[in-house]
Parts: sequence; C-alpha cells; structure tokens
Amino acid sequence: MKVRFMFSHVKKVLSQCSTGVYRFGAALALLLAIPALSFDYMDISQPVLKSAANAVLAQKAWANEAAPAAAPAAEAKKEEKKGPAEWAPQPPPKLEEKDYPVVKGFNSRLTVWFIAQLHLFFGAFVLAVPIFVWLIEITGVVTKDKRYDDMAHEFMKVAMTGFSLAASFGGLLSIALVVFYPQFMTYMTGIFGKVMIFYALAFFAESFFLYTYYYGWDKMSDGNSKIVHIGLGLGLNLAGVFLMMVSNSWASFMMAPSGLDDSGVFQGNVWAAINGHLWNPINIHRFVANIAYGGSLTAAYAGYKFLMAKTPQEKAHYDWMGYTSFFIAIIGLLPLPFAGYWLTKEIYDYSQQMGITLMGGAFAWLFILQAVLIGAIFLSANYYLWCCLARSNGSHRYSFMIKPIAIVIVTMFLAWLTPHTLVMSSTELTQIGGAHHPLLGKLGVMAAKNTAVNFLIVLTFLSFQIYNRSNKKALGDGFWAQNGTSVQIGLYVAGLCNILALGIYSYYLPASVRIGLSVPQVTTTLIVIVASFIMDGKIFNKSEELGETKWGNMPVRSQYALFTLTIGFTWLMGLMGYVRSAIRQHWHVYTVFRDNSPGAFTPTLPYAAAVVTVIVCVFIALVLFMFWMPMLAAKKGSSGEH
Amino acid sequence: MEGNKGNSELGKILVYGLLIMLAFAGYAKFGIPLVIPEAPPVEEKITGAMTKDQFVAMGDKIFHGKGTCTLCHSPVGGRAPVLDAVGPRSSERIKDPRYKGKAKTGEEYIRESMMEPSTYVVAGFGKPGTNDTVSPMPQINKGAIGLSDVEINAVISYLQKSGGVEVTVPLPTGAAPAAPAGGAEAAAAPKPATTAEEAFNKYGCVTCHVVPGIAEGGDMGPNLTKLAKEAGSRKPGMSGQAYIIESISTPNAYVVKGFEPDMMPSDFAEKITMSEMNLIVNALLGKK
Amino acid sequence: MHFLKPIIGVFVAYLLIKIGVPFLGSLSHPGTWPVVPTAVMKMYLFFIIAGAFLASTFSDEGYNGLVGPIVDLYSNPSKATLRLCAISAVSLLGCWVSYQYVKPSFEAPVELRSVHPAPPSSANMWGKTFELQTLKNPLREDKANFAKNVEEGGIVYYKNCFYCHGDKQDGKGHFYQAFNPIPANFVDVGTIAMLTESFVFWRIGTGGPGLPGEGAPWATAMPVWHTMISEEEAWKAVMFIYEQSGNKPRVTATVAEKK
Repeated sequence: MKVRFMFSHVKKVLSQCSTGVYRFGAALALLLAIPALSFDYMDISQPVLKSAANAVLAQKAWANEAAPAAAPAAEAKKEEKKGPAEWAPQPPPKLEEKDYPVVKGFNSRLTVWFIAQLHLFFGAFVLAVPIFVWLIEITGVVTKDKRYDDMAHEFMKVAMTGFSLAASFGGLLSIALVVFYPQFMTYMTGIFGKVMIFYALAFFAESFFLYTYYYGWDKMSDGNSKIVHIGLGLGLNLAGVFLMMVSNSWASFMMAPSGLDDSGVFQGNVWAAINGHLWNPINIHRFVANIAYGGSLTAAYAGYKFLMAKTPQEKAHYDWMGYTSFFIAIIGLLPLPFAGYWLTKEIYDYSQQMGITLMGGAFAWLFILQAVLIGAIFLSANYYLWCCLARSNGSHRYSFMIKPIAIVIVTMFLAWLTPHTLVMSSTELTQIGGAHHPLLGKLGVMAAKNTAVNFLIVLTFLSFQIYNRSNKKALGDGFWAQNGTSVQIGLYVAGLCNILALGIYSYYLPASVRIGLSVPQVTTTLIVIVASFIMDGKIFNKSEELGETKWGNMPVRSQYALFTLTIGFTWLMGLMGYVRSAIRQHWHVYTVFRDNSPGAFTPTLPYAAAVVTVIVCVFIALVLFMFWMPMLAAKKGSSGEH
Repeated sequence: MEGNKGNSELGKILVYGLLIMLAFAGYAKFGIPLVIPEAPPVEEKITGAMTKDQFVAMGDKIFHGKGTCTLCHSPVGGRAPVLDAVGPRSSERIKDPRYKGKAKTGEEYIRESMMEPSTYVVAGFGKPGTNDTVSPMPQINKGAIGLSDVEINAVISYLQKSGGVEVTVPLPTGAAPAAPAGGAEAAAAPKPATTAEEAFNKYGCVTCHVVPGIAEGGDMGPNLTKLAKEAGSRKPGMSGQAYIIESISTPNAYVVKGFEPDMMPSDFAEKITMSEMNLIVNALLGKK
Repeated sequence: MHFLKPIIGVFVAYLLIKIGVPFLGSLSHPGTWPVVPTAVMKMYLFFIIAGAFLASTFSDEGYNGLVGPIVDLYSNPSKATLRLCAISAVSLLGCWVSYQYVKPSFEAPVELRSVHPAPPSSANMWGKTFELQTLKNPLREDKANFAKNVEEGGIVYYKNCFYCHGDKQDGKGHFYQAFNPIPANFVDVGTIAMLTESFVFWRIGTGGPGLPGEGAPWATAMPVWHTMISEEEAWKAVMFIYEQSGNKPRVTATVAEKK
C-alpha cells in the first residue's frame, strides 16, 4: 500500500514539473526513496515469504495425507538430503570471561568507549551541519541575500574534514568491536546483517551527494542549477538521517530488544528488530540534540574566528555567523528537555527496572550533574543573547528587563537543581528534625522540575525576543502596532501564571494523574512562544530600523559564553552517552545477551566523568585540526590573489 | 606576529575550555557523594548437598540481590506490596473472590505470582489505568531477572520462612533440574540419564569403580558395592548421602586408604544434573 | 559604587536561603529549624553568584562598573595601602576557608540513614527466637490487669528510659543533647504511632546494635535491653509508652486476621 501510494505521489509530482530540472530533482528524490522503499519491502516481504512457505508446507502436508504409505519414505529421503546444515538464527551464547579476546595494552571496554564516543561526536556534527546548511541555503535563495549562501558554503567547508573523520572512526569502531567482542558482533550481524549491508551502501549515496553538493556549490549557483543543488543537499540530508536511524536501531535494540523470542532467538523479521520500543524516542532525541550540538560547534568556530579577526568586516562577518549558529543551537536546545522526558518515559514503559536504575538507583546523582550542566548551558545562552543587545541602537529601552529575567532564571534553576534525596550531616539532620525537608523536599519532585524547565524555556525565548526587537520601532497606528506589546505582556503573564498554577495544583493530585499535567504545561509554553512570535510579525509589520545593526560590536566575553555553550554541550553528550549505555548494566543486549567480560561492571560517576573529559580533550584536538584544514586551503588561495 | 596573536588567543580559549571541563569533572568527583553501582550478580550454584536453612538463605540472597525484588517490594517506594507477611497471606489470597488463578496452595500462589504476575494484582498496585488487572511486575523466570525453577523455589522458601509459615517447597535434592530452562542449553546438552545404570555409564564411573548393579568394573578406584554400609561412617558427623555427594563433587575431600588423590576427575559437579545425582546416590546407598 | 549592587544582591539571596527557608519551614514544622543542607547550599550559591555576575556584565557599562574598580584597585599607584589591605583580606579569607576544611571535627561522616528500617523476620532475645511478623503483646489479652500492667510499665520507664526519652516522652530527656541522632520522640506521629508493638518490642530488646545496615546500627546509643530487663517488663514498658503518649499501636493485616 505504502509503495503504491509513494509511486502515485511521485508520478503526480513528475507530471507537474514542466522543466527538465524539476524532473531531475524529482528523480533524485525517487532515488533517495529507494532505501526507504527497500525498507518497506523488507517489512512486507517477511509475511509474504512466510505465507508462501506456509502454502508449500500445507501442500506437502496434504500430499502426505493423500499417500500415507509414501510418507516414511519421503521422511527418510529428507534425512538423506540434509547434507551440510543451513544457517539459522542462533540464540545468544552464554559467554565466560575466557571468550573475550585480550589484546595486550588495550582495555577492551575503554577502547570501544573512546572510539564510539569520538565517532558519535563527529557523526553528530556532520549529520547536523548539512541540515542547517541546507536550510540556510534555501533562506538565501528566498531572501536573495548572498551572505546566507556564503555562510552556508563556509559551514560546509568546515564540516568537510569532519566527514572523513567520522567515517574513519566508524571503521575503527567496527574493527574494534570485532576484535574485542567477536561473539557479540556475530550475534548482532546474525540479526542485522541485511541492514548492515544497506547501511554500508548508503555511504556511497552519502559520499556522492556530499561531494557533488560541496564541489558543485559555485558551479550551480544560480537559476535552475541552484535548484538542482538544493536537491543534492536534500539527498545528502536524507542519506545522513537514514544512516543515523539505522545505527540508532542497533543501539536501541541493545537497550530494548525486539523481534526475539523468550530465549533471545531472532524471529526473522528485521523490521521488528529495528522498530523496537526505544528506536523512535532515541531517533528524535538524537536528531534534535545533533542540531543543537552542530550549531554550538560552528558557533565556537565563528567565535574563534571573531577573536582572531583583524578587520571590522571580518569581525562583522564572524559575529553574524556566530549569532546564526547560536540561533540554530537554541532552536535545538529548547525542545530538547521534552525529547528527553519522552525518552525517559518510554524507558520506564519498556522496563520499570531499567527506569528505576536510571532515575532512582546508582544514577540518581548523575542527573544532578546533568542539571548543573544544563544550567551552565542555559545561563551562557541567555548571557550571549543579553550581550547581543550591544549590537542594537535601541536596546537601552529594554535593558532594564535583563535583571528580573536573570533573577527568575536563577531562581528556577535552583528549583531544578534541588536533589530529591538531600545529603545532610547529622547536625543538619537534627536541625531539620528528620530526613525530610519541609520546603526543599517539595522542590525535589517532578512537579517542580517540570514547572521550572517550562519557565526556563519561556524566559530564554523572552531574552531572544527582546534582542529581536531591540533595533526596531513599530510604525503605523493599527491595533497591533499600538497595543501589540501590551497583549504580549498579558500573554506572558497569563502563560507563566498558568504554568505555575498547574505546577502547584499538581501537588494535590495522586502521582498517576500528576504526570499528565506536564502536557498542558508544555502546551502553554508552546502557545506563548508561537503566539508572541506571530504577534511580533504583526507589530513590526510597518517598522523602521533604528540605525544599522552593529555587527561585530560584541565584547570578547560574549564569545567565551559561546565556548562555554559548546564545551558544556559536548561534555554533556559524552556523559549522557555513558548513562544511556550503563543502564543496560551487565548486558550486551538487555535481558537477552549477558556480558561476562571483565568490563561488565558499571563504572562510577567520577570515573566516567574523567573518561569523558579525556575523550572531549582528544575531540577538541581533532576539531582544531578540522578547523585548521580549510584555513590552510584559504591561505593558499589568498596568497594567490595578492 | 599575526600567527602569534592567533596562537595566544587560541591558547587562552583552550585553557578556558580545559578549566570548564575540569570544573565539571571535579564536581562529579568531589561535589557528589560517591555511589558505587552494584557488581554484576553471580549466578547461584546449587549443589545437591543443601540443607533447608542453606536453601532459605540462598532464597534470601536471591531476594535481596539477583532477583532485584526489593527494588519494588520495599516499604520505601510503595511500588509493590511489601512481602513480609506473604507466607501466611498467600493461603488467604486464593480464597479471595477476585482470585481467578489455578493455585490451590499458598506455595502455588506465590509461584504463580512470580511467573504470571497479572493473575492476581493486589488492589492499588496494578498498572495505571488498568483497574488492577495488569501487573507492572516482570515475569521473573524470564528476561533480565530470569530465575531458574530451583531459584524460584529458594525464593519461595525464604518468603515462607520469613513469613513464619512452614516451608513447603521441595529441596533441590529432589528431581528439580539444575540448569536454567534456557532453550539453548537444553538443546545442546545430552539427555539426562533416567536410570542409575545409564548414569553410571554416561559418566564412565565403571571405568574405575565397581558399582552395584553392574557386573564389570575397573579397580583404579574403590569398589562401591559395599558403600551403602560404609558411607555413613566415613566421616564423623556426615550422613552417607552427604558423604557420597561430597565425594563426587570434590573427590579429594576424603581419599579412601590405599588410593591416590587426584585420580578422579573433579568436574562432575558441573556435569551431573540433580536428577542424575539423585539416581547415583540412591543406587550407591542401596535404595531403589 | 556600581559594583556593590550585585554583591548586595548575592548577600540578600544568601540570607533568604540561610534564614528565610528555615523560617518558612519552621512555620509548618514548629520546633525545628530546617536549614538548607551545606551540599545544596554550595550549589545554590554557585549559581546565584554566576547569575549575578552575568546579569551585571552583559553590557560594557555594567562590565566596567563591576570590573573597573577591581582593576583600578590592583593597578592604581595611589591606592597602594588599600591594595595591600584587599590582598590581605582575600588571603585571610582563603586561609579561613582552608582551615574550615581541615580542622578536626567531631561531626560524623555524612550518611543516608533509614530511621525505621524493615525489621528482620525473627530476632534472638532473652535466649529465644521471636518471629516478629506474628508476635503479639501477650499482656494485651489480660484486660483485667490492664491498668496495673501500664502502671508497672511506668515504673520500668522511669527507672530506665526517661533519662533519654524524657518526662513528656518527647525525646528530650536529661541527656538528649549528648546524642546524635537524638532519642526517639514518642509523641510525634512519625514514630511509635506508625509502628506495631512487636517492632517497638524488638527495638527495645536488641537496641541500636540490632538494627540492620541501612539503619546505621553504629550511630544510635540505644542499649540492648534484653540483657537488663525481663521480657515481661519490656512488654509493660511498651504498653506504658503507648498509653502515656496517647498513641495506638499499629495493627498489621496479619495480626488483625489472626485475632
């Protein structure tokens, strides 16, 4: 059904296209759909094949019944014919310590941890960059502003080395896994073998689009060829997302295996193994986080170039580039807490045991650390936005609002940081009169956290909105131009009151109902953001700029806010990778395939933090190399011009 | 000159980044109380020579460790009923009008609750929205916990003992299979012997010993036809049954005079199934 | 004096957390002073200081207003004396903080202690084993001598218990300030009111050392009473503290069924 629908849809698109270029673009889209189609094929092929096999069996059974005398003979023949046994899915082996190869000088777990994390850092970066490069390119075409196109091109240039690094680490990772965990890989390939081949093939598509997209940038710069170029960009992104989703399915299978019987034997349906309970939550969470992370990394690049810039033009360019990257990072950051909540909820739904291990057991304190890190990220993001006011000419009208915003943000953070289980000395225990704190205890529960995080998001958006209007003045005497701001203030106040009221109300409800209240809270947040964004458009429908935006007029410390954002993000990604993997505890594939290697134990938080720090240091060294490469090329180019 | 400026700027940025990361890692190390996650659970080894108290103690260990029961069944979280009195309560439960399961005794009720948790859900502990018809508890003979039948019996014996009622589950010296019911292992392992004669042949006992019921046998090891009388007095304070089981699982624990130690293989304990061990012990003790 | 504003702001926030939170908490739990634990306080202060710094330095004027006086203090030749004072003050502050960390203290290490841990299934007291799940107070059956038993329990209490648990049974006896954790307050709804008589009997019989690991048996000073008073005296004391504090012992489902 799906396939048919897609074909008819494609036909329709093709018939609507008058020029050959459109046809080419559509054909490209079709080409890209092939992996997707083949997925559909896999999906439907299993039942089809099965029913075919059943039909054959039924016929045989019927034949046997018809000629019972012939049956024993037929059976005997079957026995003879058997010959070499056919391959069949195997149950996971019960491994012992001696089944894990030891390579002298390497700690198996640490090596795989290092390589996997580095692969993930680069993979996430090169997945995210083409997405927003493509969007910026389209923005450039729509607004006819050449600057966007140049910036998109420069982002792509920065990411080019990243592609080969991501691929190299990917190759290294698969070799490391085969070297250190051969039985585990045998089991995984027994299930995902077919998909792995498609995965490898998709790299050809990825490389094709990557090189044509990047090297064709100047050639295909206007008219119809630009549209082809955008088509290539779409192809690049589709291939990238496909690759991410396929490799996600292996990780989510290890956490929440599906498509298996009780003893862990694969049932033959690859789609069932891929489409596990946690696959889509992880897809969404990673996709959104990748965009935020990719944006923050390019923001750091722009920040560095800004600090190095010698001319005002250069400064202005990199300031603008840093701001755009930052903006992308924030777009990714704002929905991230919700994607995270969804993932956690699905983990609880999948296995209460896994959920309690995650939130209530040994890792409970990790989430305090996470809260601190997210606090640092949100604060530095807001700080950068406040610093941006220096670019505008009318910002003095709004700067009085920054301090109240800061106070509310910090207050909400403190609520968000407050741990559920307080660590107190015995003196404090005596003073408090028991282990339960009458005030802080109330902040430790989910009702408070949800309220706080919604406040943070709304206020971060408010910071952005203030900056956005700081250089404008509304003209005209329409309703919106006159009263729009008052309506917006009313909207913010009502929205925040509603979030707070819902939060307080939820204390009086039983726990099962309480969780449901986070939905109206999130909805309120979204309504406030979307509605005031639309109102901004109406208010400034007719407006004048208060002088030119002073790009490049940014203090040095604002760029350090960008670096804080980037480092915080990268480090946090490494930490959350640790916990996502660690909640499997001593299992390769949770509940099915036990890890009996010497590295099966769960490492402590300080140990993981140390490992993550070292990984991030190595990553930064490689990123410097990655940023340095295009500069090397640029130097040659500029010396040629002179 | 320009290069120098760039380098010092870069150096500053790198030092700043490093400081931030060290602050993160330092907070993880010094700002947060150290929690050491529990080591992976060790699979319980069940030996034939197990007393009732040892069996109950093993159940206790599984209940608080590998079985992960206390994750939910504890007074702290209120996620599941506290099981301190499940022993006496279980026999009341099967008389409950809401009870629809097959259990006839308290023991069967507990076992059923562990293997099919949704058969009877204690009021207030069902999955939200199911009106106490579906239990959030996993089947503990499957999945991550995956207790074997013997381990389940051990847990039941612990629950009964701690609830103050009589322990009714069979001890593992019975015909309970030792190996967990993993499809792989059952398929791969050869079929367990069904008679004592088969068992003696399967493990090659007759190569070295003369055993009751089989005429021919070797003389590398002691003649076992008279063991029924001697076993009980070999080691003071040890029953004949316990002595035989010990001699099979750890042959060097007692070496009969006139024979060398280290002659007999020491890995029988890992190969012989419970039922086979039972057959062998009974045959050697002259019981049928 | 621009740079004083954020400092004052941080100080006000500190006071709010240091005094405001315990004050509000004491309104709902009279008699306590629920301070913010040091570990949480440190986290709070870090983010308050960071927030104050960021909120006052986003503009150049703010940044110069905050950092300018400091730079001036450290570089202006005419402020040598003031500079010396400032450097000494900062150094002394560092010394004081270091000293606070390293000075010997009698404070027990921080631990998470469960006040009423789950009791074991059975306990050995007076040379025999009591099955705590099914144990009942034998003297409760004897309705006729109830008043007499309670009175005798009172004698036991005043001979042995009241020095710590107090005349009013509020855990504030003569010696209570010497103990950490403080003696149990029987009037509070969170102690004997939510426990069965057998639990209280077990706590008296085996005392602090009888607690399981999560109850931190090393921390409490409760003696092992079964070596000092008789079984009957212990039951009478249990009856007395329930009667005197106006609490009813909790009855578990099993015990209720067996009645």
